[in-house]
Formats: sequence, structure tokens, C-alpha cells
Amino acid sequence: MEIRINLDVMMAKRKIGSAELAERIGITPANLSILKNNKAKAVRFSTLEALCSVLDCQPGDILEYTREDN
Amino acid sequence: MQDWLKSKSILFSQIGVVLFALLLAVLDLGCWRIVNWFVALRGMGGQAVWGILAVLLLCSVFGWVLLWALWRLLGNLRQARVFTEENIALLQRVSLCCAAAALICVGGCFFYLPFLIAAAAAGFMALIVRIVRNVFQKALDMKNELDLMI
Repeated sequence: MEIRINLDVMMAKRKIGSAELAERIGITPANLSILKNNKAKAVRFSTLEALCSVLDCQPGDILEYTREDN
Repeated sequence: MQDWLKSKSILFSQIGVVLFALLLAVLDLGCWRIVNWFVALRGMGGQAVWGILAVLLLCSVFGWVLLWALWRLLGNLRQARVFTEENIALLQRVSLCCAAAALICVGGCFFYLPFLIAAAAAGFMALIVRIVRNVFQKALDMKNELDLMI
């Protein structure tokens, strides 16, 4: 079971690059890369709020819950 | 006053390490004389000289390694590098040095029984430092997890 962050799809829809997105939400490009590659252990609400604000979307549009089948 | 003491805390620790290093150097250089004097004072056999000398010199080797590890650790702390793999390795080294000294002192009991007290003290210190190492390891794990909180 895991929570995945699907930023690439929303970034492509809004035609915004990684560097610009990182700058607009106030995190480093390295941290944005950690988010995009699903290496993050946790996401702050403030970061999630900034993402939704910049990408003009709902949390559900970028967060996905997947259940791994055994 | 408290802030001043706090800011100088690491410096005081470094001074302590230097003082112990000086003490160890004096012991190493004067080992032969000190041991001969002690053995003559206690009226012990000639074999005891070599036994006690061996214990002191072997412990001294680990003592120098331990002091160097403490010096490196304090240097890292001064540069605000606290919870790092290097510091955990240094603490492990300190613990192992204490444990080694404890074992050597146990061996030295055959020549001079009170070495048993030094063995117990060194063994206890090894345990304390090992627990501190465990704390640092846990703190590093938590820090790594926090670093991955975006």
C-alpha cells in the first residue's frame, strides 16, 4: 500500500516546468524531484496547499492511493 | 553566564581531551620508572613488573585511539555536524577501545588483582558509550526521515 504523488500529469496539463514549479511553491528543485520520484516520506499541508494553488487542482488530483496485490 | 558556558562547552571538552592526552604521554614516557617504583613499594615479585607494564602499554594504545576519536568527534560537533554516520562510527570506536581496555585489565588481574576494578570501570564506560551510540543512530534515522518530509 502506498500514496503516490502524480505531479507529472498535472504539470503537463498546466504546462509548467520543474524549476518554475519549485520556485513558485517555495521548495528547492531537489525537494521537488524527491516528491516527483515518490521518495518523500511525508508532505506538509503547506506544501500540498502551495501545489494545489499553483497547479489549480485538488489534492486528489495529485495524490493517489495504490494497494499492492500480494 | 549560562549562555557563555554553553557556548564554550565543546571547547572545555576539547581542553579535557588535551589534558588526558598529556597525562597519557607522561604515563607512556615514565611507564618503566613508575611501574618499578610501584612494584618495589608493594614488595611484589619481578614478574609483576612485566605484567603491569604490558597492561599499561597495551591500554595506552587503545587510549590514544580513543582520545583521537573523541577529538575528531568534538571537531565535528564544533562544525555543527552532529548526527552523522562518521560520529556514530567514532562513538563505536570509543566503545570498542573501552571494551578492549577492560579485557586487557581482566588479563592483568593475574599480576595485580586491583586491575579488576579498572576492568569493571572500563567495561561500564564501554556500555554507556555504546548506548550513546544507539541514541545517535536513532537520531540519525529520525533526521533522515525528517529530511524526506517536503
